[in-house]
Amino acid sequence: MKQLWRAQAAAVIRLELKKTLFARRGLWIYFLAFAPVALFLAHSLVEIHLHGVRREMARRMSRPLTEADFAAVHEGMTRDEVVAVLGRPAASRMQVRTTVKGPGQVELTPLESLQYSDGRTELIVWLRNGTVAGTGTTSGISLGQDSHVFAGVFQFFFLRLAVFFGCLGIFMNLFRGEMLDKSMHFYLLAPIRREVLLAGKYLAGLLAATVIFASSTALQIAAMLVQFDSNAIDQYLYKNHGFAEIASYLGITVLACVGYGSVFLAAGLLFRNPIIPAAFVLIWEAANPILPSLLKKVSVIYYLKSLCPVQIPIDPAMPPLIALLVSNAQPISAYVAVIGLFVLSAAVLATSMKLVHTLEINYTTE
Amino acid sequence: MSDAIVFEDVSKFYGDVLGVNRVNLSLPPGITSLVGPNGSGKTTLMNLMTGLIRPSRGSIRILGMTCDEPEKFFRLVGYCTQFDSFPKGLTGYEFLYSYLLLFGYDRTTCDELAWKAIANVGLTEAAHRKAAGYSKGMRQRIRLAQALVHDPRILILDEPLNGLDPLVRAETIALFRSFAKRGCHVILSSHVLHEVDIISDQVVLMSGGYVVAEGKIQDVRDEIQDQPMQILIRCDRPSELAARLFQQDHVVEARLHKDRLGLVVKTSSPSRFYLLMNKIALDGIGIESVAPVDDDVNSVYGYLIGTEEAAR
Repeated sequence: MKQLWRAQAAAVIRLELKKTLFARRGLWIYFLAFAPVALFLAHSLVEIHLHGVRREMARRMSRPLTEADFAAVHEGMTRDEVVAVLGRPAASRMQVRTTVKGPGQVELTPLESLQYSDGRTELIVWLRNGTVAGTGTTSGISLGQDSHVFAGVFQFFFLRLAVFFGCLGIFMNLFRGEMLDKSMHFYLLAPIRREVLLAGKYLAGLLAATVIFASSTALQIAAMLVQFDSNAIDQYLYKNHGFAEIASYLGITVLACVGYGSVFLAAGLLFRNPIIPAAFVLIWEAANPILPSLLKKVSVIYYLKSLCPVQIPIDPAMPPLIALLVSNAQPISAYVAVIGLFVLSAAVLATSMKLVHTLEINYTTE
Repeated sequence: MSDAIVFEDVSKFYGDVLGVNRVNLSLPPGITSLVGPNGSGKTTLMNLMTGLIRPSRGSIRILGMTCDEPEKFFRLVGYCTQFDSFPKGLTGYEFLYSYLLLFGYDRTTCDELAWKAIANVGLTEAAHRKAAGYSKGMRQRIRLAQALVHDPRILILDEPLNGLDPLVRAETIALFRSFAKRGCHVILSSHVLHEVDIISDQVVLMSGGYVVAEGKIQDVRDEIQDQPMQILIRCDRPSELAARLFQQDHVVEARLHKDRLGLVVKTSSPSRFYLLMNKIALDGIGIESVAPVDDDVNSVYGYLIGTEEAAR
């Protein structure tokens, strides 16, 4: 019997996978999934360009500079003293700063800016009347900084929106979509237990969602790393637990598909209109930090947040709503989080099994 | 194992709307037609039989089984629905092949059975075209192939002859007959009464969600006591015969057939009438044939429910 169930589930997966991965109406899911890849790639390309500009600037310097040379420049130095310390600038520009002093009174101050670079950091020296009025440095983003940005995008956009709505689109359509297409009877007239049908459909949805979202996660990480040189990447991967972080992000993506998949599969059996469950689950997930301890556990994001390898630092200037979403008041261990998520998903799937058992074809009301 | 399809006090309500009510039936093997106008409950009854909908009350057993055992149940049952839609993107061949994969058959068996069923319904040429792009008749045929592909013992067909051309219609009817001859059940619905008359071994007449009558059509006709049976007698001396018949109290009416070569008689007691005919034949009136003219589905339906138009 188990062999028959396996063969039947494989047949369902084969059919559903084709429909889910290649459906025209599912194109928006790909857009949602791969939007952060485009974001990180664009960011990396800009950084690569700026890095090139700084290196070109450093090449034009009369001598190689260091950060210690930059630190030697201070307010009150004359132009000649600056040139004596740093050499001829890569570029200099004359500007006029306009300051409004009062009604009809405008003060025009001529400023000269000198640009220097050591290849990584760019120094701008502002001269007013031939003396240094101020300095400013800009440098490329470090891998450490980028990993915080990645953690933010992953938690705020990717998990809470892309995977959430992507799973909504994939899993809710597994049953509801066929009711709308009036083709559900195809399965219900076959000698297959409805539990096996549900399991096959869920696994097909999970496989499709995993392929889409895990590949997006991998590509996002690759797009983030592409701007750094091989030394920085080696340092991150081999010495700063980079591989463990990447594995964690991929694992969380798969677990998010497991959790949200089970929730939206059940919602597809309960609701005709996807907006109602989507709105309810979205609000429920967002309100997780303020829920009582017991209710917190009936939430997918509760477990996922505890698994995230990089915690987003809470800035005091952060808006309270965002701070609420970021905060993880009751973190739990990774083992408990993984087991908790599986238990939650299994409970939701068990409910779906009951629902599918009483499923009736009633196309006219769809 | 029972060889009947049994409905026990089955009712189905869609909210406040009645689907079928208090249906008690026992359908033997052979061709059974469900007859009734649109909305009379024919499709509801078929959907109930196959578990696509669940009864609000009562139970249904097919050969002693219920649809709660789908692994066994749907190997015995094939259902050609009226739902004119297919899983997206599948060709006619893929539609049947995928359906067979759900039975757990290996790929070679699926391939063989799919091609056999496609050949049976004459769609070999079009097998690799998208099923959704088929003409109405072709879509009907591929649905029929789906119902037949696993060689079921019970064939349930909702308006199976709709959209078929005359030649395919004749072939399909022959197919149903061969099925019935093997001791299988063929349950079909139709509102074309002429067609039902030709095909059916028994009928179930439905109206407004209720079963109005069921059984062999002649038996149903015999039970309609308030409508005298009409019988056409072909004979050499119709006027003389009419005079003899008028002496009988069970003969309600006797009139010359419009071709004047026979007599149309209405009798309230067919059994007494046939006995009388034997006597008359012995008395020397040359009787060529005696045949009832209103024991077809059309007339029976008209007597029970209304006009033939009601069935359309």
